[in-house]
Amino acid sequence: MTDDATRTLGKGSAPPGPVPEGLIRLYSMRFCPYAHRTRLVLQAKGIRHEVININLRNKPEWYFTKHPFGHIPVLENSKGQLIYESVIACEYLDDAYPGRKLYPYDCYERARQKMLLELFYKILGYQNTIFFGGDCISMIDYLFWPWFERLDVYGIADCVNHTPALRLWIAAMKQDPTVCALLIDKNIFLGFLNLYFQNNPDAFDYGLSC
Amino acid sequence: MRFCPFAKRTLLVLKAKGIGHEVININLKNKPEWFFKKNPFGLVPVLENSQGQVIYESAITCEYLDEAYPGKKLLPDDPYEKACQKMVFELFSKVPPLLLSFLRRQNKEDCSGVKEELHKEFSKLEEVLTNKKTTFFGGSSLSMIDYLIWPWFEWLITLELNEYVDHTPNLKLWMEAMMKDPAVSSLFIDPKAFRGFLDLYLQNNLEACDYGL
Repeated sequence: MTDDATRTLGKGSAPPGPVPEGLIRLYSMRFCPYAHRTRLVLQAKGIRHEVININLRNKPEWYFTKHPFGHIPVLENSKGQLIYESVIACEYLDDAYPGRKLYPYDCYERARQKMLLELFYKILGYQNTIFFGGDCISMIDYLFWPWFERLDVYGIADCVNHTPALRLWIAAMKQDPTVCALLIDKNIFLGFLNLYFQNNPDAFDYGLSC
Repeated sequence: MRFCPFAKRTLLVLKAKGIGHEVININLKNKPEWFFKKNPFGLVPVLENSQGQVIYESAITCEYLDEAYPGKKLLPDDPYEKACQKMVFELFSKVPPLLLSFLRRQNKEDCSGVKEELHKEFSKLEEVLTNKKTTFFGGSSLSMIDYLIWPWFEWLITLELNEYVDHTPNLKLWMEAMMKDPAVSSLFIDPKAFRGFLDLYLQNNLEACDYGL
């Protein structure tokens, strides 16, 4: 059980108190990929933290004092300083906390990592049409799809609010007959993954009746 | 390219830090094939050093220069203050496409929608200055974030659109303070050249980038 396995706070909830000294607080949601970035960095650097999960469909009124639009992730430290935007939060943690540095020391290598991230955003932002190649599904959509189908198993849900074009693309892809015909059953996929991570050789045959 | 606001960011940092450099201007309407080997996206600015290392994306080039070269640090050392500058940068991010869209429409369709959006974005920046109670976006002295957002405000001045900051007095004061900065004033665009360039650029004229030479 991860340390963020707590119920979300929603409308009408009492605002949390100040962050205790020696701790940093993360406002998060268990399935959000952006917040996931920050949780990865907190974990990798062994930073003592607490997590408050926010109900993104029913946000607490007090949460808008942490972020003007109620986005996650947001970091709050014991000085009451707030840091938001996942990439900025991750860099802040790397700068502010000792131990293993996640960004390289060399400034050119650091720049390279940041350029790679831009490449990632360009893929997400490359769409000005429903599909990556235009108004109809084409090769590039099929080439991307397998990764997104697997992510979808975990539920992207409200997190693609940042990337509505991507959410639309996923919905459009699911209507494609080819994609539909080959869609992995969610439970079977989860069952496979479960056995796979236990190095169970039967993983590959999971879900087969024969 | 002499009139590119993104490249202007890098030029400002080079000037502010006194970094010796050479400039190769690229015709953005007719890019040389070899340029795509420097940046697969074919955009300026791009930095190339003597080790053949290439850095692109304007904000990344600026941060690289601040880290790689000695002298006055433009980004704060304090992690929170540095994060604040990056959060302001995000706040500013809607301005460049809005301003460009405004310039494209100016003589044609009704651009009141774009005007209103610009007002909204400028008000967000005004709020930052009001809350910080400082002249500049990073504190009492000029720093990275000021240079990163400056080129678009320079456009407002060269195109005589100063009235757009009439409702944001702190922003107006910030602009006046910026104009006194040696790097800003030495790199200030000639208004006539900029207008000439803009006219040709909006018509997709191949000669636009060399206007005035």
